[in-house]
Amino acid sequence: MEPFIFTLPRGKSMKRVHHYLNSRTRYNLDVIKGEKLDAVLLDTFNSEIARSGQVLLQVGQTLLLINLLSCRIVEQHAASPWSFLTELAIGPVVAALKTVSRLRAFMVVSKLTLRCDRGLLLDDEGKTRARLHVFAFFRKKRSLLLGITQSLRGYDRAHRDLQHHLTDMGGAAVRDAGEILRCLKIKQREYSAKPDICIAPENPIKDSATTIIRTYLDVARQNEAGILADYDTEFLHDYRVSFRKVRSVLSLFKGVYSSEQTNELKREFADLMKHTNSLRDLDVYLLDREDYFRMVPESSHDGVRILFDIMAVKRRVEHKKICRLIKSKSYRQLVGGWVELFSNDEYLSSGSRAMKSSDRYVARLILNRYRKVCRIARRINETTADDAVHELRIHCKKLRYLMEFSLPFFPKKKVKILLRPLKRLQDNLGRFNDYSVQQVCFFL
Amino acid sequence: MKIIACYSNKGGVGKTATSVNLAYACAMSGRQTLLCDMDPQGASGFYFRVKPSRKLKKQAFFKDVDCFTGAIRASDYENLDLLPANMSYRDFDIFLSRMKNSRSRLKKALKAVGNEYDVIILDCPPNISLLSENVFRVADKIVVPVIPTTLSERTLEQLYDFFKEKKYQRKKLLPFISMMQKRKNLHKETKLKLQKKYKNFLDKSIPFATDIEKMGVHRAPVLAYAGTRPAAKAYKDLWRAVEDKVGF
Repeated sequence: MEPFIFTLPRGKSMKRVHHYLNSRTRYNLDVIKGEKLDAVLLDTFNSEIARSGQVLLQVGQTLLLINLLSCRIVEQHAASPWSFLTELAIGPVVAALKTVSRLRAFMVVSKLTLRCDRGLLLDDEGKTRARLHVFAFFRKKRSLLLGITQSLRGYDRAHRDLQHHLTDMGGAAVRDAGEILRCLKIKQREYSAKPDICIAPENPIKDSATTIIRTYLDVARQNEAGILADYDTEFLHDYRVSFRKVRSVLSLFKGVYSSEQTNELKREFADLMKHTNSLRDLDVYLLDREDYFRMVPESSHDGVRILFDIMAVKRRVEHKKICRLIKSKSYRQLVGGWVELFSNDEYLSSGSRAMKSSDRYVARLILNRYRKVCRIARRINETTADDAVHELRIHCKKLRYLMEFSLPFFPKKKVKILLRPLKRLQDNLGRFNDYSVQQVCFFL
Repeated sequence: MKIIACYSNKGGVGKTATSVNLAYACAMSGRQTLLCDMDPQGASGFYFRVKPSRKLKKQAFFKDVDCFTGAIRASDYENLDLLPANMSYRDFDIFLSRMKNSRSRLKKALKAVGNEYDVIILDCPPNISLLSENVFRVADKIVVPVIPTTLSERTLEQLYDFFKEKKYQRKKLLPFISMMQKRKNLHKETKLKLQKKYKNFLDKSIPFATDIEKMGVHRAPVLAYAGTRPAAKAYKDLWRAVEDKVGF
């Protein structure tokens, strides 16, 4: 039988639940009260835990994961300080978080106090017929009781009775971690690297392009603090991807802004991106460190270790450079200028096609690009030079960006179905390109 | 799925106490365990405070898969479920034999349940019957408590003879000394004698202890309420020895 996960209204305590059940049912609720302990609520910057309907807490040396969707509670020992899942030993919590990114650092969302109580619903012979876990959260002046019932095989009726009485007491089903955060007045991060953009399909393309650029500028800026603090490498990655999207809109959406302004903006964005290239390259090498070690015989490991030590030092230098850049006055002025410029499409000079309706404009671009991709692909055979395959890769990339930008204008599901095979093709082409580049390097 | 039976054709040798504690130790080792109480007295169920289900009294019990699965009750302990007593033996025979037979339709139907359990422990009644014979056939190992008395020795001998006569695998039998009193020389001598005589005779024995007698008062396995006591340690050791023989 499905467990019942619920929150109790303010003022209801475990004591009340105990009295209520003992006076109204033929069962006896045996409560084992826990201690009040300091705890920290953890999540990644993009709230992967909360988004997946889970609550992750570090209580002393124990990690506690509550899944509001499956109603599973798992615990794991985590003694030393940790930031990444890869730093933890294999255990129930790590296993339950297998879909969460290994690249993302876990950060403290809030400090709170937690008490874990357990209740056993006993019959007249003292046999447990259902279990109850109650987590009492305390934060500043707010408190919240989160309960999870657990049915035992063969005792469905007892569980039904328990659920019925808890609902009678005001217990409300909860499936959304955000609800718990709201009750405790904890601010929830809204960050998403791919935010949903709402634009009417018939909007003029200049207006739509400005909205898309404004959105990604905002995404990039949200990553600045994370880059400075160097929590994880995903901040820089998301930062770069956001700017790449901005640059793609500028280069792919031709005739939307005046060509002078487009060229000027493209140059400014490209200049900024150049500063981040080597840090990202080093990040990628260092992230794949273990893979590189596996590629070479153990006798060469000492040498590879020296190489990676040098890279780590270089990375520190590069990171410092980026930090200096982001903190600089010129950067603030530059980015501030962009934010101001894209806050209203009237501040931007119009190109010849600025007033075209967005859906038609983008559809035409996609179709043209698709035809180009097909043309190049048709020409490819066993004797084709690597450059032609590389060209196909570039056009596929542009096609993908165009399709992703078109999401606000067309049925999302349909576009996403088309994006999947394109992504697979791109991965394949990407690998081909990597091997081709490596081959060239070897023969040099 | 492994089936371990706890059997003796002599009563009062500690079969139920062994079944209950082995099932508990098995569950504690992380294996999904089902303890089947096949003794009509329902002592295993009593120790786990499980009341017999009304459904169990129906004739069609094992013909109906839902009825069988519906009769299983969770114990108060992690990984440990119980099938309470009061069932039709004849049907249980069929059930058991079909559980072992891969071509059996019933086994296929029961796959959902069978897959849930790593180990099924059978607490058998003290007689040689059609039910017992089925148990001898389907069980992977048969744990046999033997109290160190002449009569008990004779019963064990009879059991081995019966296995030989019926051509059952004698290596399945895992006898061990139950209710051992170390102060008594006779007990020690009997143990040595039996170990010499039977190749599979387990070295581990269960002491005659008040802690085991108190199971009826606590209505729980010794391991649950007196986990650090010698009796509990003895059951843990016995489980490890059985585990080795079963070869998980």
